[in-house]
Amino acid sequence: MPGTRRRFVVGLVLLLAAGMLIGWLYGQPALGLLAAALLALGYQVRQLLRFEAALNNDRLDDADLGEGIWAQLLARVIYLRQRGRKHKRRHRRLLKEVRNSTNAMPDAGIVLNANYEILMSNQAAAELAGIRAPQDRGQRIDNILRDPRFVAYLAGERGERGVEIPSPLHDDNWLLCRLVPFGADQHLLLIRDITEAIRVNRMRRDFVANASHELRSPLTVISGYLDTLANDELAPADWRKPLAQMREQAERMNRVVGELLELSRLENDAAAREEQEIDIGAALAFARRSYAGEEGIAEIVVQAPLASRLRGVPTEIESVIANLLANALRHTPADGRVTLAWEAVPGGACLSVTDSGEGIAEEYLPRLTERFFRVDEGRSRDSGGIGLGLAIVKHALLRHDARLEIDSTPGEGSRFACHFPAERLVGSEPVPIGRSGARG
Amino acid sequence: MQTSDLSDHISKRYNKDLEDLRNRVITMGGLVEDQLASAISAVVMGDSELGLKVANDDYKVNRLEVNIDEECSRILATRAPAAGDLRLIVAIIKTITDLERIGDEAEKIGFLASMLASMDRPADSYRELKNLGNHVLQMVRDAMNAFARLDVEAAQAVVREDEDVDEEYDAITRQGITFMMEDARSIKRVMNVTWAARALERIGDHAKNICEYVIYMVEGRDVRHTDVLSGGDPA
Repeated sequence: MPGTRRRFVVGLVLLLAAGMLIGWLYGQPALGLLAAALLALGYQVRQLLRFEAALNNDRLDDADLGEGIWAQLLARVIYLRQRGRKHKRRHRRLLKEVRNSTNAMPDAGIVLNANYEILMSNQAAAELAGIRAPQDRGQRIDNILRDPRFVAYLAGERGERGVEIPSPLHDDNWLLCRLVPFGADQHLLLIRDITEAIRVNRMRRDFVANASHELRSPLTVISGYLDTLANDELAPADWRKPLAQMREQAERMNRVVGELLELSRLENDAAAREEQEIDIGAALAFARRSYAGEEGIAEIVVQAPLASRLRGVPTEIESVIANLLANALRHTPADGRVTLAWEAVPGGACLSVTDSGEGIAEEYLPRLTERFFRVDEGRSRDSGGIGLGLAIVKHALLRHDARLEIDSTPGEGSRFACHFPAERLVGSEPVPIGRSGARG
Repeated sequence: MQTSDLSDHISKRYNKDLEDLRNRVITMGGLVEDQLASAISAVVMGDSELGLKVANDDYKVNRLEVNIDEECSRILATRAPAAGDLRLIVAIIKTITDLERIGDEAEKIGFLASMLASMDRPADSYRELKNLGNHVLQMVRDAMNAFARLDVEAAQAVVREDEDVDEEYDAITRQGITFMMEDARSIKRVMNVTWAARALERIGDHAKNICEYVIYMVEGRDVRHTDVLSGGDPA
């Protein structure tokens, strides 16, 4: 390239010099220079016009520009053009692959800009949410998914799991929508069909509720006869022990069925509950009294510095306290101590049960509230645990907008804390800021 | 980014006002759709709680109507819109009236559902009512989709649907009359069912009206009381 450039400049200078020399021989150097310059200009204009024509008619390959800088320019343009075409082909192929793979996704994916206007959507978006690919571009997403729950979700009431809405296309289908921010001010809306999951969940709930109901009546008959037989003086002496064991087991089954029923009731009826103002301090004291006079259990201490009452369903809150207390006593040796506390914390109030028992290993904590989950199969069955207590606690708390927090150190004890929001408190004193829920 | 037919204005603020207004109408439509879906499922499932909830929530629809109405007046007064914008405002003012009436009918159905829930359920569990309800619900949805997309063809399809709804309503009425003649004890229940069907049929009419406003908004021709398909000659 630099060689060509030099040759071009040198050629031009030589031509002008030759023109001037010939003119000087005839005594007219200026005229000679002018003639040479005109000659050069004429040639360059011709080359320029040819080049322009070749570009315009798109016949770069046939253009004849001779040798030199013009041919170089032409070669450069041809090269750039070919490279551009190759890139374009590659991008197009890449784009097609991306589009194919997003279309193959079973979940709907919709790209939204900062104003929630649709930029792109895949095939599943059309099938699940009725979004048409090119026509709906620029349309706001809540113009098409108009369910009030979704609109509220967009407006900022973001739950962590997204929002469940009925499908706008099929009446009995349900969709789970989740908004994921990405890039600069863009959002990706993911929609998944959860009809099947909801149906299975409902089937499970119905099954548990029905099965428990069906089990209860035969069980009542069995334990009734067992009671009579066990108290019968005439029963042979060697039947005593089997009868007693059968009674024990029937009693246990009764408890399981009772708790399963309680659990499915908590899960199923959202309505039909009467909320009252509950004096938690009194409820804690009552729970402690119910163990009065029992031998071989840990000491129970009640600390209720908070006078506020809790708005809730009394039977459910009592069941929370009873379950937590029974759990704590079960895992605390007789020389230990269990503390029941009701105190103010920032943003609400906390009901906690702290024990000095053996504690729970870290890895079991997340699974504690699963039904029938036991840390140690053999031991808790001996001590009368069924594995439903914490599941009941969790569901009862969910219905009171509360959350359960479990802290535990193996060998030192556990703390089960129920955090209630301030809206649930009645007649509350101003919540002290900065005083955390002191451990019992 | 502005949607399709709303023309560009020198004042960005004006553009945004119009777009926001349209979005609020669609939000109101979404609320009405939800109310209607809940009301229908309350009747069909015999869920009196849900029925009463629908009846109690109607105030939300009314509140939106008042808000949008005020906004329309404000734009009319301050911007003096012309041509397409004027048609948009006029169509919106009419659309929200129909949406509000649909809300009222849904409220009525919700209330009827709570009464029907305490009565004997017929063997077919109100299948006809469910079919009519789903049909009408789909019409309302399609009407709102046509409004959102300014889709004249979809709007015309909804207008045609209305005849089917009227036929289904007639069938339910005839069936109700047969029931009442056979068994006088069923009169109270059948009357309630007929009222619910009547409300649904009215909702179909309102959905049809909304679609006519969409056609007016996009094409500028008034197709009310005319044969929509032939393009505007009085029938």
